[in-house]
Amino acid sequence: MAPAGRLLSLLAAVLLAACATPGDAPPVSDPWAYPARAAEIRRPRSPEQPRYARPTPAEASRFLQQATFGATPQTLVALEKSGYARWLDAQFRTPQTLFLPAIEPAHAALETGKNLRQDLFFAEFWKASATAPDQLRQRVAFALSEIFVVSFDGSLSARVRGMASYWDMLGRNAFGDFRTFLEEVTRHPMMGTYLSHLKNRKEDPKSGRVPDENYAREILQLFTIGLHELNADGSAKLRDGQPIETYDLDDITGLAKVFTGFSYGGPGTTDAHFNRQSEEPRWDILPMKGYPKFHATSEKRFLGVVIAPQKTADPEGDLGIALDRLFRHPNVGPFFGRQLIQRLVTSNPSPAYVARVARAFDDNGAGVRGDMQAVLRAVLLDPEARTATPAGKLREPVLRLSQWMRAFGARSQSGEFLIASTDNPGNSLGQSPMRSPSVFNFFRPGFTPSGVAFGPRGLVAPELQLVSETSVAGYANFMQTTIEAGVGRAEGGQRDVQADYAPAAALADRPEALLDQVELLLMSQRLTPDARTRVLDAIRALPLPASGPGAERARRERVKLATLLVMVSPEYLVQK
Amino acid sequence: MSQASRREFLRRAGAFGLLRAAAPLGLQLAGIGAAAAATRPADYRAIVCLFMYGANDAHNTVVPRGEAQWRPYADARPGLALPRETLLPIASTDAELGLHPALAPLQTLYAQQRAAVLANVGPLMVPIRDATEFRATNVPRPPKLFSHNDQQAIWQAFSPEGARAGWGGRIADLLAAHNDAPLFTAISAAGNAVFLASEHTQPYQIGTGGAIGFNRSNASSLFGSPQGAAALRAQIAAGGGLMEGAYGDVVGRSVEAHARLSAALAKLPESDPRVTLPPGLEKDGLARQLRIVARLIGVHDDAAIAQRRQVFFVSLGNFDTHDGQLARQAGLLGSVAASVAWFQGAMDALGLSNQVTLFTASDFGRTLLSNGDGTDHGWGGHHFIAGGAVRGGRVYGRFPEVALNTATDIGNGRLLPTTSVDEYAATLARWMGVAPADLPLVLPNIGHFAQPDLGFLRA
Repeated sequence: MAPAGRLLSLLAAVLLAACATPGDAPPVSDPWAYPARAAEIRRPRSPEQPRYARPTPAEASRFLQQATFGATPQTLVALEKSGYARWLDAQFRTPQTLFLPAIEPAHAALETGKNLRQDLFFAEFWKASATAPDQLRQRVAFALSEIFVVSFDGSLSARVRGMASYWDMLGRNAFGDFRTFLEEVTRHPMMGTYLSHLKNRKEDPKSGRVPDENYAREILQLFTIGLHELNADGSAKLRDGQPIETYDLDDITGLAKVFTGFSYGGPGTTDAHFNRQSEEPRWDILPMKGYPKFHATSEKRFLGVVIAPQKTADPEGDLGIALDRLFRHPNVGPFFGRQLIQRLVTSNPSPAYVARVARAFDDNGAGVRGDMQAVLRAVLLDPEARTATPAGKLREPVLRLSQWMRAFGARSQSGEFLIASTDNPGNSLGQSPMRSPSVFNFFRPGFTPSGVAFGPRGLVAPELQLVSETSVAGYANFMQTTIEAGVGRAEGGQRDVQADYAPAAALADRPEALLDQVELLLMSQRLTPDARTRVLDAIRALPLPASGPGAERARRERVKLATLLVMVSPEYLVQK
Repeated sequence: MSQASRREFLRRAGAFGLLRAAAPLGLQLAGIGAAAAATRPADYRAIVCLFMYGANDAHNTVVPRGEAQWRPYADARPGLALPRETLLPIASTDAELGLHPALAPLQTLYAQQRAAVLANVGPLMVPIRDATEFRATNVPRPPKLFSHNDQQAIWQAFSPEGARAGWGGRIADLLAAHNDAPLFTAISAAGNAVFLASEHTQPYQIGTGGAIGFNRSNASSLFGSPQGAAALRAQIAAGGGLMEGAYGDVVGRSVEAHARLSAALAKLPESDPRVTLPPGLEKDGLARQLRIVARLIGVHDDAAIAQRRQVFFVSLGNFDTHDGQLARQAGLLGSVAASVAWFQGAMDALGLSNQVTLFTASDFGRTLLSNGDGTDHGWGGHHFIAGGAVRGGRVYGRFPEVALNTATDIGNGRLLPTTSVDEYAATLARWMGVAPADLPLVLPNIGHFAQPDLGFLRA
């Protein structure tokens, strides 16, 4: 593609799409903003995919644990009726729930020198995870936020609006194409700030200054190709029995030059616009753009690509060449695909499963590479995803809370889901959305707990990296309080987010039916017979008056007890 | 450990390796240690690893301050060089050196000979003479240099991400038999760290407030059910699968730790003047980690735990100063220095300063060249050792010539390490009581290095 133009031509494509379907998409009024929706992609009319009979309730629940923030009684019924494929089609068409418009008014009302609180973002997150209709999109955005990591912990602590924009960008691209996504990630000012390629300047032989290598390294290691050359099934290619490294220090140094000269977006082009965020009040939500004056013109070599020395610096053109090179690398399918499987379905997919997802990445059936819808179909409709895997994956803490909210129709009294940081492992979840301690996420895809059960068998358990003697008790105590009294800021003596236990309480006089329902909503499979007996005995031991003022309360207490005894159990915590 | 008991250790370790690691951990080590227990040391010793995640810029941590030596340093990093007059002088035999101005409390410890510097240490497979040898030959080098997560793992465990046994964990394997409650041999106050893990040792991860119990797990009624608490106790560890088992094991350790520790720690509460943080450090994450470590050390003798050898881990993140380095690093180093000095004060107050050694580690050093307002990924770096047993007031290892294109510059001022992490670790392991013959169990590569004891600790 001609230099200078990829972003603009994408915008043009969006405008054209908008013209083709008048009224369907809001007009793009700001040529400097991110597009309002993903670009159109050529897709097969009827995608090739495994066919399944209509799911049983347990199968439907299993699918919803993977593809959403948790099953609800309503979504279970809907999925049983529609089947997986039609459910996916419907989700692909569901309009995106956006965070940015909800944050903008608060941002606009800010006094100079004041910052928004991160709680505002968390509230949007919990509201969307509990209630948004575009569940698949939001759930995939969360998964992407754990691969293409930016974090409130560190230099972005006050960038609440920018982080909302980043989240919306993840969601917009969740069903788009990977090449556009990679570029929007790269250009996002939150990523530019977090991995410091924003305002990155070309080398200066006089002072000895060299380009910042941070983004060049992490886009290779974490976002696209990883450290080793991979077979299509995700296994490492070997030479003389050793893995083959995908890049070396020279590749980093060469690629680092490409990511020079990018800074604040918007119409301004002066040095002041390059240097100072105060020149562009919306710098935090506008894609970064190239400033030729600060972009390296010397030869750039990386991964076999050579960009000749330039008379006129061409940041946009170079970026296009670099991202195309990465996007076309055969590693991306298995590298990204395996991580997406791990985030949604299982920690240890078989090589064949990874290969099937990689194939969908390489070609969506209409010759298009990087179609995220094709990748998601492959991840979620794979036979291995639709039958219980022996090891499964540990549910990460944030998803446990969202599953509880959805299972019991949690409502926010304020309507805002006022839940603050859930960071503390000693009395909360030990995890808040978008607050990873580093770009390496809360947990690594290759994490292996110590001891002999995993490593020697080649098995990994990423989410176990968050599990400690402190967090197991902290979580159990947090859920005990949450199940009992709700969660979130307390006003008027009541916490903001309250479950509605009434539907389940209707089953309270039939403990087996009650437990069946709790199991179905939260874990899809059953507790082992011993555990079931134990939980049922505990429920039955809770006296249920036939009538009177205590009767309703006792019914709810039975639901709460059943819920707690399920949710603290490793049988629930491991999603299979 | 004698040769015979070492062989026995290995044999039994191998056999026990087939068991699930966690639940029988105490049994395993108590069993292995039967012989070793007879030679249980009379004194208490502990090492504390302070890991600076993200890679601390060593070039601005210990800096040449002689006019002739400072100049090439300053020339190499315009905009990032610390002014000569702001450097805090420390005594040294080779060169005039100064510490980053935020390190005043460490300068004091150094002057009191209770802290030392280890210069240009980093992971190595074998010694590499100089940058020419590094470039010209196929001399073995650590895998995945310059990659954060991998070099963190290599510093801690000599193997890239996915490593399963760190040298802290291996030291704990060998010494756990000296402790009545082996569970507390390796303790992290900073979450998961492979440094403390091994096939036989699972680190205990404590929160900064102490051990946490499962609420109402012994209550007479839970949500109105008299059988609720019993069901809760059973449910938190239930489940037979692989991951369920791993989770349940942690729950088991959590319950045991709480049972043993809560009463012991109550004897040395945060309000005890010996372990009280000053107002300026009360909210400091690193200081709070060191406070719980200080409390644990303070009660090591309590009958419920009875510890003789312990390995601790604390950490501070955000050292990856690709930009904004001057301000960011100053804040981070300020926290390190103040927290470490406070910790030494607490050890003094507990009368244990000669028995506890703290040392720093980090992913890698950084480039000498500036990228504008920050630095990029390097290799060797400088580190601190602090405690009453330290032969302090000295620089160990070889302080490099700080300039570009020197013998130790492999590019942009990335330092080729002149001392290996193995030697650093061996010195600490020896001090803890690991026998010379056992060092290869902890440090498989130690045979490649001439100096298994760098001498910075008194026996």
